[in-house]
Amino acid sequence: MSKLHLELADSKTKYRPGEAVEGVAFWELDAPPTSVEVRLFWRTQGKGTVDVEVVQSLPGGTGQNDRKPFRFVLPAGPYSVSGTLISIVWGVELVAEPSGQSVSTDLTVSPTREEVRLVKVDEK
Amino acid sequence: MRPRENPFRSDRLLSLRYRLQEGTWEGLLARFDALGRRAAIVGPQGTGKTTLLEDLAPRFRSAGDRVRELRLDEETPDYDPAVLESLTARDVILFDGAEQLGRFAWSSFERRSRAAGGLLITVHRPGRLPTLLETRTSPELLAGLVDQLLGASSGPIRPLAPELYEKHGGNLREALRDLYDRMSIP
Repeated sequence: MSKLHLELADSKTKYRPGEAVEGVAFWELDAPPTSVEVRLFWRTQGKGTVDVEVVQSLPGGTGQNDRKPFRFVLPAGPYSVSGTLISIVWGVELVAEPSGQSVSTDLTVSPTREEVRLVKVDEK
Repeated sequence: MRPRENPFRSDRLLSLRYRLQEGTWEGLLARFDALGRRAAIVGPQGTGKTTLLEDLAPRFRSAGDRVRELRLDEETPDYDPAVLESLTARDVILFDGAEQLGRFAWSSFERRSRAAGGLLITVHRPGRLPTLLETRTSPELLAGLVDQLLGASSGPIRPLAPELYEKHGGNLREALRDLYDRMSIP
């Protein structure tokens, strides 16, 4: 059975914009891949259409068993946010093709390193 | 409850697969062959037509077909002509939202698609192609989806299924979106 694994430096998952997300990706695949990639992305979760944006990606080659250090510098935004209808969630993902097998780890990105909560404002 | 924690959020609803109420996948594909590999999935909104089409795609690929996918809706009422280029008997066109094409556009599309080895469309009403399957829903099906999404914690929500089913006229997509709203109330 294929194994894919992401290990973040110091197991850190909370960051400020501009900080670097560092770690190592490991994989042991049942068959040689056509590509392996590590991606920094954010996505929406909640009610309505799911949006995903891959911000940065790093090719991992086509080795069936390999490891790849990675370092992504986080952009200024968007922040990790939760409102009523949507959340914006950052993450790092390791993907192998053509199987599409993947593993990901959620991250929090904001000036306080905590998720920003959007509260409902009563109209006057 | 934060949107990313809501069990009825969109990405979880998209992960739901079609549940055949009767028969087998093999039987459904055999029926498609028996209909000359040109047929329609028929049903009202929110009854699983798109999900069924999506779940048939890998099965066609496993059988050696090359799948061309086409989706039209109110925001995308026209198609890229490239989908009809270089068609061969290996190609199966999966066309979601075929009723977005008017009568003449449909006639043109149907004629130009005959070079493909198969055409399967989704429509709300029968008539354009022989019916492969009519999608139907039930309060029990909705309750089953609630069980799948909530697991062991479905107890308090499951009894709402008949009420929500009736409220939304059998449209499971709207019933599940209603549950998103109810779960997000603090």
